[in-house]
Amino acid sequence: MEFDVPYLIRHLPALGRGLALTIQVSALAIVLSVFVGLVGASLRVMRFPVLSQAAAAYVEFIRNTPLLVQLFFVFFGLPTVGLTLSLFWSGVFALTLWAGAFQIENVRGGLASVSPGLNEAARALGLSKGQYLRFVGLPLAVRVGLPSILNTSVSLIKNSAYLSAIGLQELTGVAFDRIAIDFRAFEMLSVLLAGYLSVVLTLSAAVRAFEYRLQAPFRR
Amino acid sequence: MTLFRRVVPTLLLAMSLAGPALAQQLPPLPETVRSQGVLRAGVRCDQPPYGFRGPDGGFAGVEVDMARQMAAWAFGSADKAELACVTAENRIPQLQARRVDLLIATLGVTPDRARVIDFSDPYRWGGSDMLVKRDSPIQKLDDVRNRTVIMLRGTTQASWFDENMPGLNALRLNTASDALQALLQGRGEAYAHDAATLVVIATRDPSLRLVGKPFAVSDAAVGVRKGEPEWLAWINAALARMKAENLYMLWVERWVPNETRPFYISAFNDPRPKAR
Repeated sequence: MEFDVPYLIRHLPALGRGLALTIQVSALAIVLSVFVGLVGASLRVMRFPVLSQAAAAYVEFIRNTPLLVQLFFVFFGLPTVGLTLSLFWSGVFALTLWAGAFQIENVRGGLASVSPGLNEAARALGLSKGQYLRFVGLPLAVRVGLPSILNTSVSLIKNSAYLSAIGLQELTGVAFDRIAIDFRAFEMLSVLLAGYLSVVLTLSAAVRAFEYRLQAPFRR
Repeated sequence: MTLFRRVVPTLLLAMSLAGPALAQQLPPLPETVRSQGVLRAGVRCDQPPYGFRGPDGGFAGVEVDMARQMAAWAFGSADKAELACVTAENRIPQLQARRVDLLIATLGVTPDRARVIDFSDPYRWGGSDMLVKRDSPIQKLDDVRNRTVIMLRGTTQASWFDENMPGLNALRLNTASDALQALLQGRGEAYAHDAATLVVIATRDPSLRLVGKPFAVSDAAVGVRKGEPEWLAWINAALARMKAENLYMLWVERWVPNETRPFYISAFNDPRPKAR
């Protein structure tokens, strides 16, 4: 069996739609998970009672359970307690839930690296906790945490392949469908690898450009 | 006493010779299979009554019994069947990757599949049907056109809907239990699968019913890799012998409860019906 190019071209439109869905789900989940990270890390660092512990429990819970199980729980488990999300939003929710926990740790690491003197100075100037986080702490934390935030985002994109297990026709879902019908595993799996690689490399390049911009004040 | 000592071993010897004598109805086992010393078969684990997990968690079902019978004929013991769970999606890749040497896994004969693997003579036929909620408005096949239909990846039904109802809203999942769960939660209005599988579910769950309009009827056969004609001939001979010895009846009676038994006996013994 050699590499069948016409076969691939025939199925390119469907694969393209799958890739678009992968990008859509991942982009939404990345944005939402970073937001979860910012809020969660703030709660943790500022030691808000109860909320801080809740965030810590959430992180531990997600980090110590498999993503596939979390995904099935969201899709098949939550409807039992009355929360039925559509296929698409089940995917976004599960990925956000998973990546959010890691983003909390990423941002928290960044916040820990901000010199305590800045916090003391902010308090001396009369800034509230919230104002310190918004204007001083988080902007600096994100700068430091950016590589690990990117890391988690890359994992999120790769893990979006799991969503094929609940029937979402994203890139992997489309390709596995074709493999199950036509058995041309080599062609389809090659496309999968190339597809994910290009998405992830694009994201990395974009983040690197962003990082460069953020570093502008510190460059000579 | 001396007589007894002589007669018993002679009897034992005669009995042990009778076994191989019967097996001589089958052509010789190909060297590639014989050298392994076990029969490596891919069977389903979520398709009662063909292949499923029994109450003890072990392999059970008619197709599992077929594999064990083949092992008994090939190696003298049903325990020489090395069974592996395969899914609709991964069964053909598993065969091609040489993880198993044959598939007895609710495998329908289709032209697409015939291009990549070889099929034995069919041992039964299987039609497709749809499972819906009891109060569902769906009465016939065309009623699902603008609805969501749940199906499994790589099944006959998935290809059938692909060809005959393009643009249908299809939710493709990996296992029958996922599909049933999705149907019960209303994530799709119908679950299309082998009628044989759905009959069992419908009799167990009174909140569901079959649409009862068969489609995509196909033969089920044993799958082997291309280019293994001796092995295929052996399997065909074994299948013919199962039929001749009426073993299918025995196995259907073992695994199928009374209410649905006629359906399965017909699938193994009657000719294939005409359908869309």
